[in-house]
Amino acid sequence: MPYSEAFKDHIANPRNAGELPDANATGEETNPVCGDRLRLSLQVREGRIEAAGFLAYGCPPTLVCGSILTELITGKTIEEVGNLKRKDLLDALGGLPSRKQHAAALAIETLRRALSSGRASSPSQPERFPR
Amino acid sequence: MTKARRVYLDHSATTPADRRVVEAMLPYLTEKFGNASSVHFFGQEARAAVDRARREIAALIGARANEIVFVSGGTEANNLAIRGVCEAAKGYPGKISLGHVITSAIEHSSVRGICNALQKNGWEVTRLPVYDEGIVRTEDVRVALRPDTVLISIMLANNEIGTIQPLDEIGALVRDERARGRRHLWLHTDAVQAAGRIPLNVDALGCDLLSLSAHKLYAPKGTGALFVRRGVRLISQNVGGHQEREKRAGTEGVPGIVAFGAASKFAREEMDERSKHDRQLRDIFEAGVAEHVADIVFNGNLARRLPNLSNVSFRFIEGEGLLISLDLQGIAVSTGSACSSGTLEPSPVIRALGRNDELARGAIRFSFGKDNTEEDVEYVLKVLPQLVEKLRALSPLNKVSSFEFQVNPSEL
Repeated sequence: MPYSEAFKDHIANPRNAGELPDANATGEETNPVCGDRLRLSLQVREGRIEAAGFLAYGCPPTLVCGSILTELITGKTIEEVGNLKRKDLLDALGGLPSRKQHAAALAIETLRRALSSGRASSPSQPERFPR
Repeated sequence: MTKARRVYLDHSATTPADRRVVEAMLPYLTEKFGNASSVHFFGQEARAAVDRARREIAALIGARANEIVFVSGGTEANNLAIRGVCEAAKGYPGKISLGHVITSAIEHSSVRGICNALQKNGWEVTRLPVYDEGIVRTEDVRVALRPDTVLISIMLANNEIGTIQPLDEIGALVRDERARGRRHLWLHTDAVQAAGRIPLNVDALGCDLLSLSAHKLYAPKGTGALFVRRGVRLISQNVGGHQEREKRAGTEGVPGIVAFGAASKFAREEMDERSKHDRQLRDIFEAGVAEHVADIVFNGNLARRLPNLSNVSFRFIEGEGLLISLDLQGIAVSTGSACSSGTLEPSPVIRALGRNDELARGAIRFSFGKDNTEEDVEYVLKVLPQLVEKLRALSPLNKVSSFEFQVNPSEL
């Protein structure tokens, strides 16, 4: 399968790999069909994602989507990343074959899970994050 | 960017054509282009070349030349053997239209697919277990035998883990059955991976049908052969021509057959040397991996397997991630992970050993060949441990990196 240059770069040099020791929001999701897993840890301050880390088990698209997701959300506000779609990940990767696109869906679900773990998804409760 | 060194460790998938083999083949593309069925000089020249190749292939497996049927490859050989024999059963005295086939849980996908298709059509199929060593037990074959068993199809050497099956014992069992008056029980073996790598003799194995593929022994793709023992009834799967003694209609692929013949000759002459070479590199590789990478499992019985193959499960990581990481460093291997095969299930072969999904998904096959060098192995041993470590650092399954951290509710 031909992978894009961006894809190969993320496989060879994953960004933000590992678990953030001082995260205040985490989420983990498993693809029930193939068993791929993605875990996201976020450091959120004043409604902004200051740092993100990921762990992933599964096929290369899953690893790459985890890596690129952390890049796309770091420095963004909770509100901004709330609108992040599967397509944004796919565009950033230069596309994925259709049967691999579930990897991007898993990444978005994991992000949602992490955001809801810190109650960050609700803008009315930003005070729940430490200032 | 400097061009990465390239190391091909996927010789169980295919081998490069030997230059000597290509040279032998080339005249049959141009000046010696005849159709082997033609009566004129050009045809007879091609016919003679096909028959010479037939003798070389027969010599590789201890058969007679007229027991060799040329086909397009291993998959077609398996189709012709299994379907051909099962369809012929309708003509037996008992007229078995829906019989029973015994096979193993670790057959190549072609045999697996053919047996699944037979089953769909009403045949019954027994798939024998291979236990944790990847080897079928002859006693299980004996127990599985039924009065309507038409065919036993068990591979000689497995394509993923290289384990060598006790075909000689199973062959002896079939001969015993025949001696007791059973006339219509046949033994087929898929020897695609074994040919050219270990000595083969159809009489010592006691098999009636044996599948071969040219491109696993340094000849081009597109040619294979089926050994059909004299007296075995087989229904042709390709009809519309008289070629190959009515067993496979279609103009013979003369250049590919000539190449296959030459490759078989070299394989026979150089087998000891090649297997010694492959085994040496494989053993250096395995010792190095065991020394430099923790949490690995070697798959299959380590003593009873092909000399050129090593199958290793790397815990905590998925095979295709490692495959692509190795590929980016110029190293070509195969994996049993589901992604690679385009299915959702990881390797049925590794699963049949009783390994869990994680080990099946993390299985990588390294298969060595005659052109690999010690430097190739050194390079792989330098690169591989780093890549495994890198991928494990990403893995949520890796105990070191994960699950210690929990969200602290007081911080929220």
